[in-house]
Amino acid sequence: MAEPVSQLVASMPRARMLALMTLFLGPAVAIYTLFSIYPLIATMTLSTYTSDPSGVFTFVGLANFVTLLGDAVWSRPFWNAAYNNLIFFCVHMLVQNPIGIALAGLLSLPGLKLKGFYRTVIFLPTMLSVVIVGFSWNLILSPLWGVAEGALKSVGLGAWFAPWMGLPHTALLTLALISVWQFVGIPMMLIYAALLNIPDELTDAARVDGLGQLRIFFHIKLPLVLPTIGMVSILTFVGNFNAFDLIYSVKGALAGPNFASDILGTFFYRTFFGFQLQVGNPTMGAAVATVMFLIILVGVCLYLFVVQRRLRRYSF
Amino acid sequence: MFERQLKSAGVHLLLIAYSCLAVGPILLVVMNSFKKRAAIFGSPLSFPDFTTFSLIGYNKVFSASHVVLYFWNSLVVTLVSMSLVLLLGAMAAWALTEYRFRWTTALSLYLAIGIMVPIRLGSVAILTMMRKAGLNDTLTALILVYVAQGLPMSIFILSEFVQQIPRDLRDAARCDGVPETRIFFEVIAPLLRPAIATVAVFTIVPIWNDLWFPLILTSSDSTHTITLGVQQFLGQYITDWNSVLAALSMAILPIVAIYIVFSRQLIAGLTAGAVK
Amino acid sequence: MANLRIDNLNKSYGTARVLADIGLQIPDGEFVVLVGPSGCGKSTLLRMIAGLDAVTSGDIYIGDRLVNTLAPAERKIAMVFQSYALYPHMDVRKNMTFGLKFTGVPPAERQRRVTEAARMLQLEKLLDRYPRDLSGGQRQRVAIGRAIVREPDVFLFDEPLSNLDAALRVSTRVEIARLHQMLKATIVYVTHDQVEAMTLADRIVVMNQGVIEQVGKPLDLYYEPANLFVAGFIGSPAMNFFAARVESIGAGGARVVGPTMQPMTLPAAGLAAGAELTIGVRPEHLAIGDRGDFLTSGTVELVERLGEASFAHVARADKKRLVVEIRGRETPKIGDVVTFAAGMRDVHVFDKGGRRVETVTA
Repeated sequence: MAEPVSQLVASMPRARMLALMTLFLGPAVAIYTLFSIYPLIATMTLSTYTSDPSGVFTFVGLANFVTLLGDAVWSRPFWNAAYNNLIFFCVHMLVQNPIGIALAGLLSLPGLKLKGFYRTVIFLPTMLSVVIVGFSWNLILSPLWGVAEGALKSVGLGAWFAPWMGLPHTALLTLALISVWQFVGIPMMLIYAALLNIPDELTDAARVDGLGQLRIFFHIKLPLVLPTIGMVSILTFVGNFNAFDLIYSVKGALAGPNFASDILGTFFYRTFFGFQLQVGNPTMGAAVATVMFLIILVGVCLYLFVVQRRLRRYSF
Repeated sequence: MFERQLKSAGVHLLLIAYSCLAVGPILLVVMNSFKKRAAIFGSPLSFPDFTTFSLIGYNKVFSASHVVLYFWNSLVVTLVSMSLVLLLGAMAAWALTEYRFRWTTALSLYLAIGIMVPIRLGSVAILTMMRKAGLNDTLTALILVYVAQGLPMSIFILSEFVQQIPRDLRDAARCDGVPETRIFFEVIAPLLRPAIATVAVFTIVPIWNDLWFPLILTSSDSTHTITLGVQQFLGQYITDWNSVLAALSMAILPIVAIYIVFSRQLIAGLTAGAVK
Repeated sequence: MANLRIDNLNKSYGTARVLADIGLQIPDGEFVVLVGPSGCGKSTLLRMIAGLDAVTSGDIYIGDRLVNTLAPAERKIAMVFQSYALYPHMDVRKNMTFGLKFTGVPPAERQRRVTEAARMLQLEKLLDRYPRDLSGGQRQRVAIGRAIVREPDVFLFDEPLSNLDAALRVSTRVEIARLHQMLKATIVYVTHDQVEAMTLADRIVVMNQGVIEQVGKPLDLYYEPANLFVAGFIGSPAMNFFAARVESIGAGGARVVGPTMQPMTLPAAGLAAGAELTIGVRPEHLAIGDRGDFLTSGTVELVERLGEASFAHVARADKKRLVVEIRGRETPKIGDVVTFAAGMRDVHVFDKGGRRVETVTA
């Protein structure tokens, strides 16, 4: 893939090459390190300290983590947020990705007309700001406006309607589904691109072998895009455990009702910056951020070393 | 034959159904933003006509908030960040591909980690840094953060494009004695034009729509971005349905317009980057 | 095995006509090669026989069954693709048996067929490997094996040798010929390489721009091409063409003259005075000499020596090049002005429309 280095470059005096590298790489590496890597490390370091009201920081090792995970006052909201985040992620994996795969499968059928139109339209919500999406759906689902209720009534399912956003046991699910609605375009596009990569001759051979379109999708196309599905899954994981915007813009920092829609992102925000009755606690906030980072790191490592290795079998 | 047509009709039905689901809510919001309050509640699904048409919500948005200022802020932040991400990213991608040292691969890996690392988690330290540097509550702070956020992905994508530039092209200029910096700016950079679409997709949208960093790094009204501005306006006027719908529509329409105009390039950019 | 019949087949994509009025009869067990330049429609025709592309008008019969509306799997055909089209995520054995599962062949029977095909193609040791661990030639054999186990009525090959290197191409070609003899299969084979066509086919179908130019046995096409296109396509290096005109009709025949040849007499009936003709003579039928039924001359520009045969490229009066095959070690020198002769038997005559004109041979 990478071509061998040009002879002219290789014969350049070392000092000159170093100067060039600094010029070209310097700014990028500097900004990246300063605002991406360093803050992360600083946060992790901060999590091992505790601060008192006068601003003095004392090193306490892993005490913050113990508190976060075990102490009655802290751990309940933490585990609640972590559990909710897991549900949030599961909904995406179980709803967003299968729908994305199905849509990609439909769009990649040979000879389908209006492909471009469908692609453009279905991808549209992804372009919108989460704030817009959250709020719009809030209005649509609101019992005050009655649009959702009316829609359900018109198909005879009026009894199903409830103010889902406001009820503790449905709020999180509703928000997760709204997020799915918005972001389904991404797995759809990525998997669609991967499906396009499958040579036509392979589907021709399958047709000659006697497979119908549905079977071709499940036995031939799907296995061959598993690497992409894997990538989509890990991106979903990272994105979900980082999520904040939707919950915050619809439910505010308190992630109601009754913290039912609290996820790690909102928990982190509240812990660090404080909100209403809660005072901001930078060190505990740092601890929450570190835990979030570790969760994501574990997930990514698991993926890279376990899943991706198995998926190599499916490359061409 | 007939069976084939039936199957094709079924596929289209499914796709149309989902398209309606995708676009419906947006249409609903925009449509109703142009209606009087009574019409919004009375007949939400109908198109605004002469009796129900009203711009009252829009007036409120313009008068009660600095929507134009927010829009301008977003534009500045997004465009400057995108430009820097492209420029610095291209330079870095070029250096990593052309000038190879022992530690070049390690450096590439270091930069690639950023794709997975959630920069938000370092917000604690970022805020502290910005305060100390006096950059708190400035657009510059946002720009720096977004550039840091966008560089890993952009370097990754641009590296692929740089590798595809034929080596002969890179050497020919050297044989002519052209200095390296000029080679980059006048030979390589123009060839990276197709990459702009791909990088743009992955960079512009997350920056424009971001809520977190404007929320954390900007406190005064004059530095708010459109996303933050809309969010706060919505929170404030939550019972004023006209204004709320108008604000939402104003945030929706520019994006939709740009999206429709550039949809082909955007989607091509997304799929090109994904294939890598 | 079964026969194949195609009646008045047409194929259009929108307004673009790709195949026009194709008619073909292939008896059971015959090896037929569809050959022609790119874009002539041969692959499209093959795909229509397979059922991968729809028919615009006309009929296709496999084994006397009308198959127009049948799906590929129902036509009892098997196809070998140019890029082999092996399923990358299945091993060789699974690749070969995959299709059989869906056509209701029981497991025991599937195993039997795979073992048999593997033996025939020497694939026994490779059955558990994956396609990416195989060489090009091995992959091609697996693709052929996959076709064999289907026990089809007709085998379809779509340029199967194009992706192989030269040496492998020759050996695989021999294998395919051997397979044909062993299985007594009806084969329709598409290629753009006329050498493959000549060596493998029982009969060749020469196609050009969606139309069949000629159907016939390889040597028939070689010795009696029906038109200018076939004459120029079959045989390598290509036939030399000379523009000519009937000057007068006399007792001995027609006196034909041309700017790049010496006047000659053609014993042909049905030629009118003033008629425009094209004379064709193959490079291998011209010899150095100044006595013969047909004479032409020119300056030698280049000589390609390949061993027993060499090819002299000669500049003619009309600035075009003449190619002559010279046998033996004595070859003309560059710059020599040489005269070449051919016998009446080896002179092909084509009329103004490019159609063959029969000459009464001596």
